[in-house]
Amino acid sequence: MSEIYLHEARTGLDVADVEEELTRGFLAVRDAIVDDRPVVVCLDEQAVQAVAPLPDVAVAHGLIGMVRALATEGRKPGWTVVALSVPEQFDREERDSWAQRLAFPAATGSLLRLGGEHLGRVVV
Amino acid sequence: VKSAVITGAAGAIGRAIAERLAASGLAVLCVDASPAATDVASALADEGHRAAACVLDLTSDDAPKAVLSAAAELGDLSVVVNNAGITRDGRATSLSQGDFRAVIAVNLVAPLRLAEAAAETMGEGGTIINISSRAALGNPGQANYAASKSGLIGVTRALALRFAPRLRVNAVAPGLIDTPMTAAMPPKVLEKLVARIPAGRPGKPADIADTVAYLASPQASYVNGQVLLVCGGRSVAG
Repeated sequence: MSEIYLHEARTGLDVADVEEELTRGFLAVRDAIVDDRPVVVCLDEQAVQAVAPLPDVAVAHGLIGMVRALATEGRKPGWTVVALSVPEQFDREERDSWAQRLAFPAATGSLLRLGGEHLGRVVV
Repeated sequence: VKSAVITGAAGAIGRAIAERLAASGLAVLCVDASPAATDVASALADEGHRAAACVLDLTSDDAPKAVLSAAAELGDLSVVVNNAGITRDGRATSLSQGDFRAVIAVNLVAPLRLAEAAAETMGEGGTIINISSRAALGNPGQANYAASKSGLIGVTRALALRFAPRLRVNAVAPGLIDTPMTAAMPPKVLEKLVARIPAGRPGKPADIADTVAYLASPQASYVNGQVLLVCGGRSVAG
């Protein structure tokens, strides 16, 4: 299997950064797909919960939509594009280990939320 | 007099929303980049409703200020419907950076800026309704559109938390709706899409307008931060 591309969404953004950050994400993920690499998009769980600053939330949810669209489009060619959300204090090595486990075609289009903070909240 | 702002009011869904909210007694500001918004406002005024048009580019820096100023002339702003949107579909491998950016700018950043500015000025009981899309769940050839409409869902939830209990912020996610755009599809493509809808038909603009009217009404006073999928069951069928 090709090396995984781990895309990290930036946080601490201004509204003026939203368009740029989502475009950066799209171009980077597309490059990886074209190179036949599985993609894991890493998100901040607080942004996914919509309790982070508005621009960070817009970008995190935008990337989730993009992941789902690319996974749908990539079913025939066999692209693997998944999203992984972890709280800020989550151990990086453990996150990367989960990313390795997630980067398989069977998981494409999924969003895995680690850390338990999502419990009791709306499904994203 | 209470007023409502409807962006994208020159389109089929926007017009239906404007008509529905006007019928419920709100003064409506029809906002669109197209001068056809003036025709929509004129038609409503001819029917005895209080209506005005605001023709501008919602992605311009001063758009929120201009819209809110025009709305204030009509009455106390109580409803904002972020409906304006564009599509620039294309396979991900060939989608241009310009087409990706344009869709994010119009469908996500512009409504975010308008909603945030409006929320700061709206009084108790006001409501913001963002028109997202079922496509936020994933559609081939729409990486840009899905990103924009999914981002808008996040914005909806964040604003709902930030401005509660003074305001409510919800989203409507339409599926396939019968508009001039869908009418222009090749019949076989349309047939294939309709076959995946449990309701057995595309939705009508009035289906979206009725949902918006519900969310704007006191009957929805306990509904906040939610996304209502209005897609004939398509999101369940997959």
